[in-house]
Amino acid sequence: MNRQLAHLSDEALVALAARSEQTALAELYDRYGRAAYGLALRVLRDQALAEDAVQDAFLAVWRTAARFVPERGKASTWILTLVHRRAVDTVRREQRRRADSLELAPEPATEGVEEDAWLRLQRERVQEALRHLPDAQREALELAYYGGFSQSELAERLGQPLGTIKSRMFTGLSRLREQLGEPGTEISWTSTT
Amino acid sequence: MDLHDLTAAYALDALDADEAEAYERHLGQCEECREQLAELNETATALAFGTVAAAPPERLRASILDAAAAERANVVPLLRRRWVARGLAVAAAAAACIVVGLVVSQSQSTQKQVFAVFVDRNGNATITATGLGSAPSGKTYEAWVIPATGPAKPAGLFSAGATTTVHLKGTVPPHASVAVTIERAGGATKPTTKPIFSATA
Ligand SMILES: [Zn+2]
Repeated sequence: MNRQLAHLSDEALVALAARSEQTALAELYDRYGRAAYGLALRVLRDQALAEDAVQDAFLAVWRTAARFVPERGKASTWILTLVHRRAVDTVRREQRRRADSLELAPEPATEGVEEDAWLRLQRERVQEALRHLPDAQREALELAYYGGFSQSELAERLGQPLGTIKSRMFTGLSRLREQLGEPGTEISWTSTT
Repeated sequence: MDLHDLTAAYALDALDADEAEAYERHLGQCEECREQLAELNETATALAFGTVAAAPPERLRASILDAAAAERANVVPLLRRRWVARGLAVAAAAAACIVVGLVVSQSQSTQKQVFAVFVDRNGNATITATGLGSAPSGKTYEAWVIPATGPAKPAGLFSAGATTTVHLKGTVPPHASVAVTIERAGGATKPTTKPIFSATA
């Protein structure tokens, strides 16, 4: 695998992708493809649909890299937002799987999955932060983010006023932000080849 | 419907299509929401890392790269050309409203340096530098905005990390250049050394 760009920042890679540098797109995929696929699979619970969502998102990166503005956020956030949005759009079209119950896919088992060490640490850190939230807030965040439920669907299915759902999401995210601590624990990418 | 209240739900992709559209329109006019969204979006995206990252099938990588190549088959990729001499600017691609200047340089060392400058339509600029070593002892990196006419304006001091993002002080007017020099610690009021990087917006 060609990792000649392994030492570049995500943002520099996006700038290169904007100039049609295909190896930059490949490097971004090597960094975030796994997180992207894991996320899409969690939301969609279907490998083919998850692959489509990831492919669409990375092609959107390729097409719109020139419009990416680093001061509005990190490149990794942008990429995973694109993946998440596509996964949620798809899951909402797949009405059948969500027809009756407010059901959240169980956290996939870790056994048998060869997990990247850094991704495992990230996962444990996020799960630990989620555990510190009150149940109602955690439930709202998980059903929305992993389940793809809209705030109106959640209000209806949880039998709560919309305002309650909104404030659970807002307070939940704000607390999660505190729990996760200051951003800036950037990974520095170094060439391993 | 108070649109300010939709930021968290938008960050989680928990709005219906019409709500999301209304919120995006609001976002164009509300600085407060833009700032809050940037924060909450980053936190929401942390949830992406909260689930098991199963390896995607091998074919997915090739499938994405093939599709990408097919879309822009006629473009000569930058890196197939020789890595260019230090300081040589690649002509900026002017996107709809953002100017991106990108300079790739390589010194005697094998480390490639990449500088990317982003200037938004309001003239706010960011430099992202990669592969830039620490400044020599007693020195600092200093960014400059150099207008088409008139003296260079100091735009901030920084030290280098593996990757450094610098938000420039002041704004970059049209046709101005952005440059980085090495100055004595504490910075200078005008550049005293040859820029290690410069690009024109
Ligand atoms: Zn607002």
